[in-house]
Amino acid sequence: MTSNKLRIDKLYALSSENRKFSFSLPLKNKIRIGKRDYIVQLKADEKYGTYILWKNRKYPVEIVRSRQNKYEILFNDISYTFTVETPFSLQRMKVLNAKKGKAEKELVKAPMPGKIIDVLVREGSNVLRGEPVVILEAMKMQNEIQSPVNGKIISVSVKANTNVMKDDVLVEIKVE
Amino acid sequence: MKITKILIANRGEIAIRIMKTARSMKISTVAVKTAAEPNAMYLSYADEIFDNSEDTSEIPVFLDIEKLISIAQRTKADAVHPGYGFLAENPYFAQKCLENKIIFIGPSPDALYKMGNKTIARKLAMKNGIPMAMGSEGNISNEEEAIAIAEKIGYPVIIKAASGGGGRGMRIVRKSEEMEKMFLIASKEAEKAFNDPSVFIEKYIENPKHIEFQILGDTKGNIIHLGERECSIQRKHQKLLEEAPSCALDTDLREEMGRIAVQIARSVNYYSAGTVEFLLDSDRDFYFMEMNTRIQVEHPVTEVITGIDLIEQQIRIANGEILKYKQEDIKLTGWAIECRINAEDVQAGFAPDPGKIENLSLPSDPYIRIDTGIQPGSAIVASFDSMIAKLIVSGKDRKETIKNCKMALDKVWIKGTKTTLPFFRMLVRNQKFQDGNFTTTFIEKDLEKYYLNSEYEEMLAAWLATKLFVRENLEEDSINVDFENGKEMSPWLLNKRINQF
Repeated sequence: MTSNKLRIDKLYALSSENRKFSFSLPLKNKIRIGKRDYIVQLKADEKYGTYILWKNRKYPVEIVRSRQNKYEILFNDISYTFTVETPFSLQRMKVLNAKKGKAEKELVKAPMPGKIIDVLVREGSNVLRGEPVVILEAMKMQNEIQSPVNGKIISVSVKANTNVMKDDVLVEIKVE
Repeated sequence: MKITKILIANRGEIAIRIMKTARSMKISTVAVKTAAEPNAMYLSYADEIFDNSEDTSEIPVFLDIEKLISIAQRTKADAVHPGYGFLAENPYFAQKCLENKIIFIGPSPDALYKMGNKTIARKLAMKNGIPMAMGSEGNISNEEEAIAIAEKIGYPVIIKAASGGGGRGMRIVRKSEEMEKMFLIASKEAEKAFNDPSVFIEKYIENPKHIEFQILGDTKGNIIHLGERECSIQRKHQKLLEEAPSCALDTDLREEMGRIAVQIARSVNYYSAGTVEFLLDSDRDFYFMEMNTRIQVEHPVTEVITGIDLIEQQIRIANGEILKYKQEDIKLTGWAIECRINAEDVQAGFAPDPGKIENLSLPSDPYIRIDTGIQPGSAIVASFDSMIAKLIVSGKDRKETIKNCKMALDKVWIKGTKTTLPFFRMLVRNQKFQDGNFTTTFIEKDLEKYYLNSEYEEMLAAWLATKLFVRENLEEDSINVDFENGKEMSPWLLNKRINQF
């Protein structure tokens, strides 16, 4: 899709929990709350690094990840993930989502780097939501990694006594 | 003073904490430089550095008894302070120090052994008529035995590692079907963490408060307590916030629990600083849990309300001096709260979030004490714990301390990893916490959300994401912007770019 700058008058930031924030273009350094406009400033200095100045308070900000139109922002130590959409891409997304329906496969990923202590399921095992599938040791604590869904294990990608990185896929589950 | 030079067998904030007191007592210190953290902050506090960074051995030097003894000898240190964790509660290390005429700043090997082995400690406490939760006589060897005992004392039960401590190797079992799995997990974890798979079972006390008493004893048999610490704010048995005193205790209960804590210490002729942990239930019945035979992470809150430097007392006791305080000299004044600021992601269930600390700004005020071993540029490495700093806040009473804590938390500025700060910012605003109405299950059961954020903060973050998008896609020199195949950029580059806005 080739876009024409002139046609875009608005952008939407969609949060991972599906909250929508809309901003008119050109983007102003002001945000309206109720009937008042408040100035937002993005600043940086030696002592604090990057921060946002809002209502006389400094908030630390960081860009954790950026991929295409997806941004993970750390704001005051809390991370938020947004996809920024134009009116066109938002429309397209709605159409696509309506077609796709519900996800059928679920990937269980390592929430943190660590070592696999035990794999509690194998290919073909049936699992219930909340049932532990893998024991992962990180920073000397053993953590049960649980299935987020009811389903059947399609594949197991890890073995006991191996190390994994954050977000490595551990098992794949067919949602039932 | 016999002690003239102390080898610090530890790292991080506790190494610094010990060296600060040693310096004030005109005792010199030796710190050990490791390959994992060759530029660590604690090294700059030492009078002398032993460089062990070429050592490629699998075990960290702070766990290597032979090596530490040889470092003490080579640097002519006449005493060793183990800090907490690592070898702090290892009787064999204390014994080896003794044999090599190095003063171990801590209790006797015998006390370390007896209190370190939870089944022996249980038997000792039983013999002394100390109130305890019902449980197995000694270790249990398989899940059948575990089920049999659990049926007798009633579910829920808790499986604990005999050599455990610090909350590791514990599992709660609510019904017999869970026993096999939990028994296996607990003993595996115990074997990994403590080199000893033995476990025992206790009746699980529902919704207790975790109350512990600070003990000081000298080598002449004088033992006193320095009041309690309230450590009920914990997750998976890992303490997050501690305070002293506890609003759950009145003078009578404090006196009674303190007396029993001293009695437990006396049963092993305890000397040095130690901590007796109890569970306190809603009927104000209390149960002995375990004794920690070391200086604890949360010791500062006791120091704040008693005005006593616990590290100094440990050194003096190890030096053979008589305790200069009697029980009646101990006065608890004001209130103190400690927040453990760890590199953890509260949005991902407190998962460790190792990384490099890019920026660190800590407040300083008369009511704030900060114990840290981290400075800008320091790395939080996966091989050690995830602590960044301990924020210790005081006030004249609990209410004022919580208010001070709220202000202090907003002044802590850490960049580079996610931290437990948003958790504490939420906690100090929680009504139940403010009312003192919480138990060890508070985090799991009473909190809907583990962190503080307001809708404006999310909106501001959305504005920033949009601003980045505009900068990357709409303000580029190129005429055609391809939204489908937007480029992948490294966060590093983005953070540089942010400064150009």
